[in-house]
Amino acid sequence: MNLAVLLGAMAVVGRSLALVVGIAVLVFVLLRIVPGDIVELLASEGGFSTGQMEQLRQELGLDRSSPEQLVIWSINALTGDFGVSLRFQRPISEMIWAALPATLQLGALSFVIGMSLGIGAALAAAIWPKSPWRLFVEALNVWSVAFPTFCVGFAFILVFVLWLRWMPLLGNLWLPALVLGIDIAGQIAKPLLEDIEEARQSAYVRTALAKGVPRRVIVLRHVLPNALPSLLALTGLVLGGLAGGTVTMEVLFGHNGLGRLTLDSVLGRDYTVTQATVIVIATAVVLANGLVAMIGQLLDPRRGKSG
Amino acid sequence: MTLEISPPLALAPPKQRLRLPLAVWIATALVVAAILVALIGPELYGLDPLAQNLRQRNRPASEMYVLGTAHLGRDIMARLITGLRMSLLVAALALGVAAAVGVVLGLAASAIGGTTRWVFFGFVDLLRAMPGVLLALVLVAALGSGIGPVALAVGLTFAPTFALVAREAYRRERALPYIGAIMAVGARPMRIAFRHLLPNIIGPIVTQTAIIFPRCIVTESVMSFLGLGAAPDSATWGRMIAQASRFFETNPTAVMAPALALALLTLCVAVIGSEARRRLDPIQRDLAR
Repeated sequence: MNLAVLLGAMAVVGRSLALVVGIAVLVFVLLRIVPGDIVELLASEGGFSTGQMEQLRQELGLDRSSPEQLVIWSINALTGDFGVSLRFQRPISEMIWAALPATLQLGALSFVIGMSLGIGAALAAAIWPKSPWRLFVEALNVWSVAFPTFCVGFAFILVFVLWLRWMPLLGNLWLPALVLGIDIAGQIAKPLLEDIEEARQSAYVRTALAKGVPRRVIVLRHVLPNALPSLLALTGLVLGGLAGGTVTMEVLFGHNGLGRLTLDSVLGRDYTVTQATVIVIATAVVLANGLVAMIGQLLDPRRGKSG
Repeated sequence: MTLEISPPLALAPPKQRLRLPLAVWIATALVVAAILVALIGPELYGLDPLAQNLRQRNRPASEMYVLGTAHLGRDIMARLITGLRMSLLVAALALGVAAAVGVVLGLAASAIGGTTRWVFFGFVDLLRAMPGVLLALVLVAALGSGIGPVALAVGLTFAPTFALVAREAYRRERALPYIGAIMAVGARPMRIAFRHLLPNIIGPIVTQTAIIFPRCIVTESVMSFLGLGAAPDSATWGRMIAQASRFFETNPTAVMAPALALALLTLCVAVIGSEARRRLDPIQRDLAR
């Protein structure tokens, strides 16, 4: 294990932790500038007496100062206790556990589809520059920039569910994964191709060409490893976008996932749930990005074997 | 030996003909048309986007209703037109907020430097680490719904990218001699940043604006699709889609019309944006989140 890699890994861990703490504080603060007192809002809807309001405040810990609340919440959260939903009086951790599988499934499938389609298209376009693959990469890019995923979702439903009747709508996993996957592919294919093209200008590629190494081998063996760091950086953006994309897809296709849970909590003013889900999702994204950054450091060929 | 006498420079301006791809011309024309329709369309078209006709629910296109009616018997075309106004208005407001907040704070923090810069850009990092839609969701939850709050929420979601552009531009510009000269005269950092440096970095900022604008449109429509947009009764495209989606099977037009309109608008704006980036801005590919 060389020192540079170790230091880099520690930097990534430190940054990720700082971001998680920062996000928790940010969400906490944002949800506390909500106009009006949550308890008063609940009371006006539920017809509570003043005594009941006081009791509720104590139960929610709202009688303490905000920093105190944050610390208590964080300590509980680390043990997996996110408090109780204001609306349903259910433990939030239970609700999150119930919603997690749907989101993970959709997210993972979309990610796999998107990455393989995006990387595949970029590689094909790099290996056969005069083929239609280049056009395909351009088209993917335009598609993902211009077409919001929920519009594409409706178009797909119209075609595959209503016209062709290939699959049912509710609980459908492949269709939303395809929508998100194409979106992801569009985000990564073009930048990746640009990177590969850039790397092709370099001296080591010229040398390889001069030696008579076939184009396919040059792209896969020499260029791709050097494009990896930027590919991993793109992966970070993709993960963040995926966290947002699953919200609309879950609404559209009737999955009871984390995104849906978050949205319902915002609409129902269930702030304890909003707080928990947003922090959980954002933390997951930050940690995943941290992992990606670490992999990137390990794979970066420039980091060398001697360190 | 003959001396070719060149005409005075002032009399012979270089031929500047804007050569743009056809797609960009079409996109520009469509966007200009869209802006015109948004400005005067609702008054010109005449039909009330809110008028309900319960006997004419979910009707197909006819002479009376160009695109048919939605689930409460409201004219889809009229709602499309007012929805366009709403989309462009909210997106433009959001863009203004994003650019103003991001550039002003980003420049100021860069000019002050030291701990302030470190803390501010740490915060920017933090905002960028949050998934965009989630951040917008939380901001809407905090600020409430309605045109103003939603524009503010979407704007604040995109402000960080402008702060980063401002920082990059500041770094590049600072190294140039004219800034050194102004510093030698003794101007304060803030004055340098806003009086002298800002006018010179308008280019990258405008480019960023062009890149972010379609995202503002999309994010606004996602917000209103999710039920967090402007007032419940106002016709935004996102809300039209959400409301009509319950009747998707019987009346797909009510969903597909605003969905296609939205896709077409973002496509045109994005085409213009990417052309602007290609022409004006060689550096910041990675910043355009």
